Amino acid sequence: MFAYTIRRLLFAVPTILAVVTICYVMVHITPGGPFDLERKLPPAVLANLQAKYHLDESPLQQYFYYLGRLLHGDLGASFKYTDWTVNELVAKALPVSLAVGGLSVPISMVIGIAIGTVAAVRRNSAIDYLVSALGNVGNAVPSFVLGPVLILVFALLLQDSHGVGLLPAGGWGGWRFRVLPITLLTIVNVATISRVMRGSLLEVLTSSFIRTARAKGLPERTVILRHAMRPALMPVLSLFTSIALSSITAAIVTETVFSLPGLGQLIINGAINRDYTLVLGLVVLVTAIAVLFNLIVDLLYAVVDPRIRY
Amino acid sequence: MLKSVFRLASAIALTLAVTHAAYATAPPNMVPPNVVLADNQELVRHYGSEAASIDPAMCESVQEALVDADLFEGLTRADNAGQIQPGVAESWQRTDPTTWIFKLRHDAKWSNGVPITAADFIYAWQRVVDPKTASVYTILISFVANAKAILAGALPPSKLGVRALDPYTLEVKTESPVPFLAAMVSNPVLAPVYRPAVEKFGNEWTKPDHLVGNGAFTLHYWSPNDKLVVVKNPWYWNAAHVVLNAVDWIPIDNNDTATKQFESGQLDMTYELPPGSYASLKAKYGNQVHIAPQSANYFFALNVHDPALKDVRVREALSMVIDRDTLVKRILGDGELPSADLMPIKVEGASPTPRDWESLPMDKRIAAARQLLAAAGYSAQKPLTLKYSYNTTDINKLVGLYVLSEWRNKLGVQGTMENQEWKVFIQTRHDGTFQVARHGWSADYNDATTYLDLVRCGSDSNDMKYCNPKVDALIAQGGNETDTLKRTALLTQADRLAMSEYPIIPLYQRVTARLVRSYVGGYTDLDPLDRVPSQDLYIIKH
Repeated sequence: MFAYTIRRLLFAVPTILAVVTICYVMVHITPGGPFDLERKLPPAVLANLQAKYHLDESPLQQYFYYLGRLLHGDLGASFKYTDWTVNELVAKALPVSLAVGGLSVPISMVIGIAIGTVAAVRRNSAIDYLVSALGNVGNAVPSFVLGPVLILVFALLLQDSHGVGLLPAGGWGGWRFRVLPITLLTIVNVATISRVMRGSLLEVLTSSFIRTARAKGLPERTVILRHAMRPALMPVLSLFTSIALSSITAAIVTETVFSLPGLGQLIINGAINRDYTLVLGLVVLVTAIAVLFNLIVDLLYAVVDPRIRY
Repeated sequence: MLKSVFRLASAIALTLAVTHAAYATAPPNMVPPNVVLADNQELVRHYGSEAASIDPAMCESVQEALVDADLFEGLTRADNAGQIQPGVAESWQRTDPTTWIFKLRHDAKWSNGVPITAADFIYAWQRVVDPKTASVYTILISFVANAKAILAGALPPSKLGVRALDPYTLEVKTESPVPFLAAMVSNPVLAPVYRPAVEKFGNEWTKPDHLVGNGAFTLHYWSPNDKLVVVKNPWYWNAAHVVLNAVDWIPIDNNDTATKQFESGQLDMTYELPPGSYASLKAKYGNQVHIAPQSANYFFALNVHDPALKDVRVREALSMVIDRDTLVKRILGDGELPSADLMPIKVEGASPTPRDWESLPMDKRIAAARQLLAAAGYSAQKPLTLKYSYNTTDINKLVGLYVLSEWRNKLGVQGTMENQEWKVFIQTRHDGTFQVARHGWSADYNDATTYLDLVRCGSDSNDMKYCNPKVDALIAQGGNETDTLKRTALLTQADRLAMSEYPIIPLYQRVTARLVRSYVGGYTDLDPLDRVPSQDLYIIKH
């Protein structure tokens, strides 16, 4: 398994390089540049700006310059936020995204798997219908509707005598600022996870080895927890990477609704402002996290499914 | 005898005209004696999108100027009513049409206690004008003598028309007469910067640990997209009159989100209301909703070289039939003011000119517009077709739909709409690859020339590519005129002439619309440039 992990990590390098290259081409062929402003810049100023960011060099030279800096762990200076480097911007935003998305993912996993399991075990019961209904609501109602509803209830309707909400309507600070965004992300994630878990477990429960286990007279609890759960978790594990990425690195709607200073905000601003270095830096980060999560999931497969060995 | 009295009177009049701005001594706004202040003097202000930079040389947007005005003070400063007050300069004098002398106060200090001298201003201004600094906002420094040549790389920054007559006397020479110079130097882009910090820390000098400012507040904390906190600066020369202890500047891109944070008690002031929310918020918050005319307009730019629009009759017909009252009252409804002129109300240096047809009833305007279109060769069989390009926002779409429906219903014009992402759109407009494009302008400084720059031949801001040398001549003549009345008359004439050729279709004047808690004292709706410095605000006991 150790050799496999090392091999996978080594494969991450060409993966990141390929993604950076594709993204580099994409940002440079996108119409409009970082210095296309409402008021045109004086030519000498524009020339200096282009020189400062190496935009006066050939695209290939720029590309290799960028890669050279990247190898040193330097994501460059932001084109828009000139007081900050991309490293600094990411260092400020990543902890916020981790605190919200990073907490929401395990909570969602636990709740999603638990209620998906209950719904499958109690198939066609009231609890199953309730879980399905909640799952459908969570999937059907977009975050940009659900988020403002949470704000309406917990920040605007439930207020103290001074007109201060029970929870903040947005912004960043202590735990009170995290409750609503984590809740929103969790609701959305749980809807997906519980649905997949329910479907997967139902399928496993019809397998012959479960029939055998029941025929042996094993208690139902043992059948579910010891025999059915592990194979049923496989599709849920496959979901992990996409859920973790959408919750941590690209929770754009959640971060906008609650004005969180996380990575999602940076991604939007980077794209709008044609902040090449910021966009590329975030792409590198997201790719690295995706590669890492995929590796973790693959290793977990081996833990869950005894047939898989690396 | 009579002759010598006349000569004396003329000499006095000339002296008064030249030194009219001397010694502005009005005291800063004070807390009224009957007001009881709150114990906690910490204000939480929303300021739109995050500042791209708080380095004064990079200060471009209104938001950046708001924060920078707390951290840095120029020769003068704008107070909460938009009036110009002494800043680091305690007095100033215009000694000839293009020369100004600023006397610096001796008690002005940096936030580390070091005295501020004229050299600090020279350093800061040379830094802004130096193309190497790559400041994206050089319009104001361009008024100083030699600035344009320096920006073009033809002269070194040391040739900028500013020098120290002694450590506390600054002489500023301008390229042409600039009657609004004393107001203009209040803009943070022309504030001094502390050379040792800039040179020692480079790009890092604006970080809380490094920044040395001279404003009423100093930088305490800054995390991008989270918040920027400033605290009272004990070294500020007028610190005794600063009431607030701290200001939390909260950047929020989305005005809906900001409004909700106001409603949940987190913000004391928002920056802008969400579009279309005025009526409902007014019903809920009453006089905590503030609306004030802003020196900013919203118009459609017409490509005057487009085959369909090169005929001035077509352009006039298109402008005549738009019912702007309905647009602002029924479609927008946030207090905007209808406008058919380039100049907004409250602008210094020119008066808006109403068009002749504005007083006519709509049916007569429609009849006249139809005649103009017919004379230009358009008919039901050969209708005028136009494409309106806009950057994607709800307001732009709404206004476009309304105007196009006006043109279709009243003139049979077949219009289409094309929305573009901002950077793509701005390229389209600069390149002139449009017929009709959304446009708007916020005053850089409170003078008519900021708007006339839009219609000057070859101006970088003239996306319409409109050019009338007579308009340029009037602008130049007005610019060189030292008599205020004559100057206003010339610039008004320039505006009238340009607008009689309809390079743009003005629609409305924008307003500042925001929520301000009733316990925030010192807030006024009087500044069309919407500066509202924190140092004039205070929190009333509530």
